Amino acid sequence: MARPRRNTNPAMSYLEIDHVDVSFGPISDRTHVLSDIHLSVEENEFVAVIGFSGAGKSTLMSLLCGLQKPTKGEVRMDGNIIKEPGPDLGMMFQNYSLLPWLTVNENIRLAVKTVFPKLSKKEITEKIAHYVEMVKLSHAGDKLPHELSGGMRQRASLARTLSLDPKVLLLDEPLSALDALTRSELQEQILNIWEKEKRTVVMITNDVDEAVLMADRIVPLTMGPSATLADAYPVNMARPRDHHTLNDHPEFKRLKTEITSYMMGLNKEARAISKDVVPMPNVRPKDFSPPTAAPRLKNKVSQPTSAA
Amino acid sequence: MAKTKDKIKYGLLRLIDLSGFKIFDPPVRLIFGEDPQKQIRDIAKFMVLPIIFLTICIWIWHVVAPTHKTKSGAVPTPKKVLVAYSENSRYGEREQEKVKDFELTGELRIARIAEVEVKLVELEKEAAEKQEVSAKASKEGAAIIQSQIAPLKIQLSQLKGEVKIAKQERKTALETLAAKVAAKEESADAILTLVKQQALTTAAEKERKKTLEAQIKGIRDDPPESIKAAQLAANKVEDEIQHYKKRLDILNGNKEVRKAALLAKVSEAKAELAATADPEVVLAKSKAVLTNSKNADGIEAQKFAPNATIAWQTKRSLATVFVGFFIAAAVAIPLGIMCGLNRIVMACLTPIISIFRPVSPVVWLLIFQIIVGAFFLPDPAKHPLFVTLNSTYWFGWIKNPIAFLNTNPAMIFSACTVAMCALWPALVNTALGVSAIDKDHLNVARVLKLGFWSRLFKIIIPSALPLVFAGLRISLGVGWMVLIAAEALSSSDGLGKFVWDEYQNGSSQSFANIFLACFIVGIIGFFLDRIMIILQKLVSFDDGSATA
Ligand SMILES: Nc1ncnc2c1ncn2[C@@H]1O[C@H](COP(=O)(O)OP(=O)(O)OP(=O)(O)O)[C@@H](O)[C@H]1O
Ligand SMILES: [Mg+2]
Repeated sequence: MARPRRNTNPAMSYLEIDHVDVSFGPISDRTHVLSDIHLSVEENEFVAVIGFSGAGKSTLMSLLCGLQKPTKGEVRMDGNIIKEPGPDLGMMFQNYSLLPWLTVNENIRLAVKTVFPKLSKKEITEKIAHYVEMVKLSHAGDKLPHELSGGMRQRASLARTLSLDPKVLLLDEPLSALDALTRSELQEQILNIWEKEKRTVVMITNDVDEAVLMADRIVPLTMGPSATLADAYPVNMARPRDHHTLNDHPEFKRLKTEITSYMMGLNKEARAISKDVVPMPNVRPKDFSPPTAAPRLKNKVSQPTSAA
Repeated sequence: MAKTKDKIKYGLLRLIDLSGFKIFDPPVRLIFGEDPQKQIRDIAKFMVLPIIFLTICIWIWHVVAPTHKTKSGAVPTPKKVLVAYSENSRYGEREQEKVKDFELTGELRIARIAEVEVKLVELEKEAAEKQEVSAKASKEGAAIIQSQIAPLKIQLSQLKGEVKIAKQERKTALETLAAKVAAKEESADAILTLVKQQALTTAAEKERKKTLEAQIKGIRDDPPESIKAAQLAANKVEDEIQHYKKRLDILNGNKEVRKAALLAKVSEAKAELAATADPEVVLAKSKAVLTNSKNADGIEAQKFAPNATIAWQTKRSLATVFVGFFIAAAVAIPLGIMCGLNRIVMACLTPIISIFRPVSPVVWLLIFQIIVGAFFLPDPAKHPLFVTLNSTYWFGWIKNPIAFLNTNPAMIFSACTVAMCALWPALVNTALGVSAIDKDHLNVARVLKLGFWSRLFKIIIPSALPLVFAGLRISLGVGWMVLIAAEALSSSDGLGKFVWDEYQNGSSQSFANIFLACFIVGIIGFFLDRIMIILQKLVSFDDGSATA
């Protein structure tokens, strides 16, 4: 199998995770979530990370946006170590993190007002309306998060992240709760923003089609614990990519099968490892229940009673 | 049309939900014709059955209460408590009438005097009638009592006669036996047995006599209801007459009259001043002019001081509890926020909280009486705080809305006690609310790079608010409970003092008043809690009521 080479360009990248480990817990009981992660993202590049649930994708994102300090190694943006989160690294949280006491509009207003303190009231309102319109939530702008569906909350969260105008968009499964139609529309919206306003995007997804449709490069994360990034798959397909005709595109087909089979292999490997570690005894548990009359009685009753 | 109807319906339902009076939900739905069968079933289950249950409770109360006699009469029945209520409200009305009479001027005053006089004549007529009825009733009652007692008395005298004879017989029997024993014809044991026996019979006789006497006394002390009722009715009219007489006194010597008298004195003195040639008289008269005109001005600020009514006591209790509650909230919320934000502050305050929280309100009251009392020495009435709080006008022209409360040190002590006891639930809950803030929300603050203050006011406080209000709700409940005890102990005017005074009073009427106060305290406590529940619902964001 022709495996693409990992990007080992020594020149400074825009966003760089440099041989990073992340572990949690005390030394005696440490869980190594990520180990020896190395990822370089060029300016204006669109990178998709795919991986299994619990592998450490969200941890990787926290790392990138500065919410999580690496146990070992460095995370840099533009050559500077990322010390703390900020609006430049626009993070969209997997669990939406909308403030439940604020309506959708107010949630976005808080973000816009904090990041752009110089805007006039009117400009702020326009900005909010623009992003709410973009995620098709205009009718629900005055609703509180608990009054929204999961997908609506996700869109509200996306709108808030986009409204920050960040240099880097960090999207943690941004479209996972949406139906296919809304999903493809929003995929297009994100691509539009990315193309028009030239952003750097790192997106987590569990959907290979979505990754191939959107990204320049797809990086698989291996199974945890001690997950690491596998070699990236560059997506050499012309843009704009049309999701209607994509299924027939030979490159799309090739990438999809390759990535899918790689992920399947990971899964199998992981299962094999876990089997080695904990060999399950192949014995059926003994039946400890005392012999009672009840089941037999029941059986008898369930017999046809025509004789009686 | 149907839409507005729906709007009204859901508006009402939402209001019901918000105020927590869930039982009114089915009737509202029924009125709007929603699934009538279910609503009727719900009404039967959740309204009718509870009402029946309560009726049964009241009935049991009604039956059981009179059977328990205490030193201040029988336990009051529901009816007596109702009577106590109406009497207390009449008492309140009377005080109000007096206050108004004191202020009346000119034509109005004259007209009122005429009215009162007419009323007095009517009342006196009524009183005479009632008196007659009462006299008749007591005569009849006396006859009834006499007829009930007579057979008992006969029994008693019979018994006395029998006992006398029996005693004589026993004496002789004893004497003969003693003689025999002395002659050694009988053993000494025999006489001992006889003495013992005779002592027992004597005791039994005494007991019988006592029971009979007690029966007679019981009948005498408990005259028939008709006598009592007639007497009560007569007394009531008599009370009313006293009241109208008092009103007449007030009307004839009210503010206007007093002022006019003083002004007359002034002008008289002035006239004399102008007429006289004696320097000593000049001196005396000018002094008289000055003091009298000063007094005349002073009268303007005078007010009729009404007696303490239960309504006034209630208002004062409410004022005290809210003063205490707001002090508690003002201290507890900032402290709680600091505790929640900073583990060190929490560690510093935890011992204080743990030690002082279980301390009884009684102890706090005594401590505050000593410590806070020291600030008001030597003469509390002249302390600037109370002078300000009780003056009729502030800065000479703003009418003081709380002058009627008659603030005094005892009220401050009670408020401080309330504050001290109400502090802890609010403090602990606020600290909990702040420290339990969702990490995701803090992450948002970090990503937005909010400063300390905007993080505090935009993220931390809103997210802690539901728990803060839950704490405040407990605080207000605790405060109200503590207040009544504190008032009773510190004799700060209020419902607590009302109960205490009635207890000291010890008549059967005051017993009913205590029950009445119990219900008033309970009902007010209930509504205070409801208000806090509504506030809590308004600030919480997890259920649907936040937008209401
Ligand atoms: N703060 C933490 N303390 C301890 N363990 C953590 C912490 N955060 C994450 N983990 C562990 O790290 C692992 C990866 O978590 P992460 O949330 O990154 O998974 P994920 O790949 O995003 O999964 P999903 O696709 O379900 O979102 C999990 O096993 C989790 O238990
Ligand atoms: Mg995740």
